[in-house]
Order: sequence, then C-alpha cells, then structure tokens
Amino acid sequence: MPAPVKYDDPVSAPEMATTPPAAPAPGPWQALYEQHSRYVYYLALRTVGDPALAEDITHDVFLKAYRHLDQFRGQSGLRTWLYRITINHCQNVQRAWQKRNIISTGDPQALDAVAANTDSPLRVLEIKELGQRIQKTLEALPDEYRLLLLLVADENLSYQEIATLTEQSSDAVRGKLHRARRAFVLEFQKNS
Amino acid sequence: MNPDTPKQRLQHRQLEEQTAEQQQTTGQQAGLAFDSVEELLRYDNLQTAPPPAIAERLRISLEQEPKPKRSWWHRLFGK
Repeated sequence: MPAPVKYDDPVSAPEMATTPPAAPAPGPWQALYEQHSRYVYYLALRTVGDPALAEDITHDVFLKAYRHLDQFRGQSGLRTWLYRITINHCQNVQRAWQKRNIISTGDPQALDAVAANTDSPLRVLEIKELGQRIQKTLEALPDEYRLLLLLVADENLSYQEIATLTEQSSDAVRGKLHRARRAFVLEFQKNS
Repeated sequence: MNPDTPKQRLQHRQLEEQTAEQQQTTGQQAGLAFDSVEELLRYDNLQTAPPPAIAERLRISLEQEPKPKRSWWHRLFGK
C-alpha cells in the first residue's frame, strides 16, 4: 500500500524554470478526471456537506495527485489512492472547522441501541429533496459510519480496500457497516 | 348558463394550469424504492455531477505546475 499522502504535507517549491512550465497533455488527465471526479466530488460533498467546499476539495485532490503521483505505487487502485487523499483532505477541513465550531456527531452506541428494520426497502417519494435528505441523514451519523457507507456504495471498492483505507480489518468493516446501515435507515426514516 | 363568460374562462384556465402543475409534480415525485443504503447512495451519486468549473480550475492550476521529470500519464498508463 502506498504511504498515505497527508494533505498538510509541505509541497516542495517549484523548480526554477527558465522556460514557461509545460502543461500536461489534456487527453490523459481529462480521462483520469472524468473517470474519477464524480466519486471524489461525491465523497467530499457528502462528507463536508458544502458544495463549494467539496468543489475546492475535488480540485485540490486532483492537483495533489498530480504532484505526488510518484508516490502511487500501483499496489492499490487509483480510485483507492484518490480516496485516501480525499479522506485526508476532508479530515483536515473538518478539523479546521471544528476548531471554530462546537459540533456533536451521532453517538454510535445510542444509534446501535435502536432497532431499525433494514430489510424493508427505503422508499422515497420526494426525489427533489432526496439529496438534502441523504445529507441530513449522513450528518446525523458518526463520522466513521458515514465514511464506511460512502465507500461501500462505490462498487469498485472491495471490503479489503475499504479496510485498508479506514485502517482496520475487513471483519471490523463488515460489523460496523451492518450497524451503519441500520443507523442510516433509522435516521432516513426520521427525516421523511 | 353561458360557459364562456370571462370569469368562467378564467376559472377553466386556472383549473387547466392547476392540473398541469399537479401532473408535473406527480412526475417529479414518482416514488422510488431502494433495496439497500448502498443502492440509495449510488443513485444519489449518479444525480450529483461535479460542477464543470472544477475541471476548468484544475486545468488552469495544472498549467502552472512545473513539468514532471517523467510524464505522469506515461507512468500511469504504462506508455
């Protein structure tokens, strides 16, 4: 697994160039961006809950990836690597925000104690407000549950990759996901 | 009773507009059912496209970056 790229890593100063820096060819980076940006943006948006901030994060993640591509060893998928950068970046943003604001996230134990029927389908009548309802639901969950749900929703990620990204075992991921789903359904029904 | 009085024409038009609005709203509110949280989130993801402005900002930012010693896309795509 490549060493995680910390967002607050110092970025080396650009080398002195006598000629203007050449831009990367548009084709490959565009392909890379088009393939992964939807997922990076979505993870950022639903993690921080602010479209403008999610926009900044997505931009910074791809810029960071460009600068640190030499750290990508290919041992994990590129999507996983981009997610690692995104998660670090979101955590830094949230930490900075929490310093200025006192917030309380959901209590996992309290949520676990309440039974929710996760077998029945999640019914949605008001599609127009669905995004807001999902956001509100996710914000009521503990950070870890929110992250696990967002990652497992990406079909390209295996449980092992999610475990690596969240620094725990696959079994722990499975157990927590079970509780996270239950907590989500409970909150989602509350917000209907 | 004359159905073509201005008042009745107005009422008729209002009724038509109201019906059209209701039909539109019904279409927007077509119910969906998701078998799992993941399915719901995938649907949400599909509805949530990144704003095009990000790609443009990124393009400008990348233009200002120094050229990597080895083309990153060659490394990435094995060319």
